[in-house]
Amino acid sequence: MFRIRWLWQNTDKKSRAMFVIAMVISAVTSVALLINPFLTSILIDEVIVAKNTKPLIPLLLGILTAQALRLLLRYVMVIMLENSTQKTFTGLRYRLFTTLQYQEIRFFDTYRTGDLMTRLTGDLEWCRHFMSFVSYTVLDSVLMFSSTLVFFLMISWKLTLAVAAVTPFLLYITHRYSKTIRPYFIAMRERLSEMNTAAQENIAGNRVVKAFAREAYECGRFDEKNNSFRSTNLEINKMWLKVFPAIEALANFMTLATVFLGGFFIIQKQITPGELAIFTSLSWALSNPMRNLGVLINDIQRFFSSANKVIEIFYSRPLIVDREDAVDHPNPKGHIEFRNVSFSFRNTKVLEDVSFEVREGETLGIIGPTGSGKTTIVNLLARLYDVNSGEVLLDGCNVKMWKLQQLRSAIGAATQEVFLFSDTIDGNIAFGDQSLTEDEVRDFARRAAADGFIGRMPEGYQTIVGERGVGLSGGQKQRIALARALAVRPAVLVLDDTTSALDMETEKYIQEQLAALPFKCTKIIISQRVSSVKDADQIIVLQNGRIAERGSHQELIRQRGYYWETFALQNDIPADFNSAAGLRAGVR
Amino acid sequence: MARNKFDVDEVLESPFSFAHLKRAAVYIRRHRLKMLFALLLSVFASVAGLFGPKIMEWTFDIAIPKGDISLLLWLALAYTAIIAIGILFTTARSRIMAYVSQSIIYEIRRDLFAHLQKLPFSYYDSRPAGKILVRVINYVNSVADMLSNGIINSILEFINLAVILVFMFTTSVTLSWIILAGLPVFIAVLLIIKPRQRRAWQVQSNKNSNFNAYLAESIDGVRVTQLFARQEVNISIMRRLIDACKKAWLTAIKISNCVWLSAELITALVFVLMYIAGVYWLGGAIVSFGVIIAMGQYVSRFWQPIINLANIYNMFINNVAYLERIFETMDEPVVVDDAPGAAELPTIKGDVEFKNVTFDYEPGINVLENMSFSVNAGQSIALVGPTGAGKTTIVNLISRFYNLTGGEIVIDGEYDISKVTLHSLRSQMGIMLQDSFIFSGTIMDNIRYGRLDATDEEVIEAAKAVRAHEFIVEMENGYYTEVKERGSRLSAGQKQLISFARTLLADPKILILDEATSSIDTKTERLVQDGIRAMLRGRTSFIIAHRLSTIKSCDRIFYIADKGIAEAGTHDELIKKRGLYYKLYTAQLPEAETSVIGN
Repeated sequence: MFRIRWLWQNTDKKSRAMFVIAMVISAVTSVALLINPFLTSILIDEVIVAKNTKPLIPLLLGILTAQALRLLLRYVMVIMLENSTQKTFTGLRYRLFTTLQYQEIRFFDTYRTGDLMTRLTGDLEWCRHFMSFVSYTVLDSVLMFSSTLVFFLMISWKLTLAVAAVTPFLLYITHRYSKTIRPYFIAMRERLSEMNTAAQENIAGNRVVKAFAREAYECGRFDEKNNSFRSTNLEINKMWLKVFPAIEALANFMTLATVFLGGFFIIQKQITPGELAIFTSLSWALSNPMRNLGVLINDIQRFFSSANKVIEIFYSRPLIVDREDAVDHPNPKGHIEFRNVSFSFRNTKVLEDVSFEVREGETLGIIGPTGSGKTTIVNLLARLYDVNSGEVLLDGCNVKMWKLQQLRSAIGAATQEVFLFSDTIDGNIAFGDQSLTEDEVRDFARRAAADGFIGRMPEGYQTIVGERGVGLSGGQKQRIALARALAVRPAVLVLDDTTSALDMETEKYIQEQLAALPFKCTKIIISQRVSSVKDADQIIVLQNGRIAERGSHQELIRQRGYYWETFALQNDIPADFNSAAGLRAGVR
Repeated sequence: MARNKFDVDEVLESPFSFAHLKRAAVYIRRHRLKMLFALLLSVFASVAGLFGPKIMEWTFDIAIPKGDISLLLWLALAYTAIIAIGILFTTARSRIMAYVSQSIIYEIRRDLFAHLQKLPFSYYDSRPAGKILVRVINYVNSVADMLSNGIINSILEFINLAVILVFMFTTSVTLSWIILAGLPVFIAVLLIIKPRQRRAWQVQSNKNSNFNAYLAESIDGVRVTQLFARQEVNISIMRRLIDACKKAWLTAIKISNCVWLSAELITALVFVLMYIAGVYWLGGAIVSFGVIIAMGQYVSRFWQPIINLANIYNMFINNVAYLERIFETMDEPVVVDDAPGAAELPTIKGDVEFKNVTFDYEPGINVLENMSFSVNAGQSIALVGPTGAGKTTIVNLISRFYNLTGGEIVIDGEYDISKVTLHSLRSQMGIMLQDSFIFSGTIMDNIRYGRLDATDEEVIEAAKAVRAHEFIVEMENGYYTEVKERGSRLSAGQKQLISFARTLLADPKILILDEATSSIDTKTERLVQDGIRAMLRGRTSFIIAHRLSTIKSCDRIFYIADKGIAEAGTHDELIKKRGLYYKLYTAQLPEAETSVIGN
């Protein structure tokens, strides 16, 4: 029931009112189904049997009006129901999307894209179906069944009892069925989600698939998911067909009992033939709701299993949120400090006791082996994750005390793995600040050495790029990402391995541009290249999550540690090279 | 190339035609025997059902008036038997049809997926992934019922209709015509509604596709969104897309529901007309009241199948919008495919020759022009040059990701790559792309993707060679640690190492590394080079890199510029030449160093 309550809670006042009115109309119109058979029987008695044409026109007009009114009301009911459902459904979609947008990154490390998509599409669809269809069909069925039963009771309680005797059996069967079928629907939903994930990853990874000529393998893998989805559906059908004959038999038993038991009662002079005629002509009003019930059980169970999945996301709340006592920072300066910061990811230590300070306007270079925790520093600064211990401060204030919106707006990051949206290049560069004019966008692109190749594209800045920037070369993507980061004119500019796919000349050009930006900012440059970080005010070398070396280029060269080794490797100097020339080269 | 983005509706390339139905028939035909059997079962069930009223008649006319209880019991038994047969047949039909409809979904989805595997990069590059996904999953689910039960039921309804027509006309020809008179009216209504309805559902499917596209993108790009604190903007974009879905849905629903509404209204009207005609026009003389009563019942019995057919038709119109999209995708041309009669490429040595290769992505804008070179088996070639010069294009052509515009690429001096099967060609190449893609699953599975029959030991060996072993064993479940497609569990460098191991495991004759080590630190890279040196012996390799240390260790260097090879030679040769490569090389080195190195 909590799932239905959840749906109701997320329906606004106006839609609730509309829903209730629609339900009332539904109830009225379904009972009104009995009006026309009633009028028709009068018509037959008064006009045809009595050979009296006088009441014909009024009666026919009555039938026509009643039917037209009923149908129009029914139409209005459906549209009202659709309207209120759509309102709720749309609201839920919107709320769920909002929840996803503010979920912390850890959340996305747990859920697969395909699975999340299933929840917001297929699962939500079942919630919609429940509200716009199952709701009134259940109401109609119950109402029809019970009102007919009451009507029957007034005529003959004996026959009614005999007919209604099947009801407990029916309730028992459907109850048991709904219990047994539940895990099947849960499984079916899982299969759907798995299939969705398989297809989604196949599409996202289509280059790898082709590179390894794995098309046949992928087809096989997908086939497995596709097939198990089919099998689960068939199993559900099999289970259904086990109870279907029973439900159908019980529904038919009602007619059987009415006619033959009724016949027996007539013979016994317990009821009149006219009374039996009413029973038989209305026996469908008992058996049809019973048939519906079975089908509805499937829909309801499917709704339950889907709603669970939606609700799970709906109520998941990120841990990284604005604190109530968050301090307002309208003008970020860009003074960064890490104090004894440690961070681990599922028991794997990533950073340990990292401390450093970058003053406003200074440049920090970070270098270190693969997986040493370089990107994590940025993640912690932007509070994509929270530290396990220690403090990260921006402008002397713990980032936990910042408002997330302000904190992240203060940081402009060009990330290592470039994700672009399927939008124009212009739109992608202005991603963080839509108010930019075309000239400004062009200016930032120029500074990121991207104006040249963008200008050569047939549609220039209006060229639409694929998701993740597919279709662009690695270097082109990096430059767009850089322009995107510059375009927010941040107090802290982060370049995470942004020039790795660029040639040296382009990198040099970009470095010159970065030195002469039209806004003041602190820079964090993460790179594998010594040439990218050598001019930084301060360079730290991360190794296994700890700061192994720190200092200026010259100091680090003299230390003859990791930094020197990397420098030597990148510049073709034998690592044991100690001659004056080498040293001179290093400390230049 | 016209690209599509999340908030732009896709233009339907091939509007619906009966050819679509013909193609859908392929899927139906496979199950025609089963469907025929199901149809027969349904017909039998309804024929058995016809005896029901007869038994009722006897009950009321004979058994009850006579007070014959034993006859009553016998009739009850007969009625039970009829019900039992009906249930049995209906159950059997339902079982068969469940299988048929599930199989149709399964088959369409399988074929669609298989076709997608053959489509070129440009297909995936030019539209959001979510729009492709929605076709494979959601749309296919929608059309199945129409192609299975929809067809059977419409046949049954037609049979029903025919039977009732016969009954009607044998009862009263004149009144039958009156009942039939409603039909043209209804058809006219349908014809008016149909184009609007179809358009409405097309719009709805487009809006839904847009929603899906942006949803997928927003999930994948959430890190960027959060870094740029752009949630609010994204949410307002999403609101627009969701509202568009809602509007489209409500419009479509309003139109679609007019179908049953008008059918029922016409039924009521016909009913009234029939009575008026029966009573006034014909008078009691011609038509007995029994006939009128019977015809009154036939009105609803005739129109019920029509209303049912209208509903099936409705479902059909709604789903055709999806069917169109599915077939449109299946019609997407396979640009790079096995040539007719393509031979398997035998195990190769690894010689590669470009003969006057010309290539363009868009007609008229050549990326490469008349490029010729030849590489001997076992050589390593570095491709250098400015970004965008076409280095990636060259390696993409070797793996035949694109077809050449002119010239040919020959392997081992005798095999034109366009004349051998793609699978035999690519499975002998190890291609490591710029983006290292990680599948959801264990690290073990991710590396094994390179060679599916590799043992755990072989996987670990490959990981060791690329120095990935160390960080993998440090993770909580080692090689069995689950990683996610866009998870932040692995750093970019670690992802590169894993895809490197994957490529090595493939045991390729020709190795292509496109910026394979750009995110890997220099020291590890050196260790990797040492580690794979033995593995690389005898393999031809093409390496795109910016790092000098990587470039220098290659046998030959091609400087790519101006649609071709501007300079070629060994490192020392090119340095002596003091040309483009020399300039590139010296740009990276501190000035004081160049004099030392140059000597």
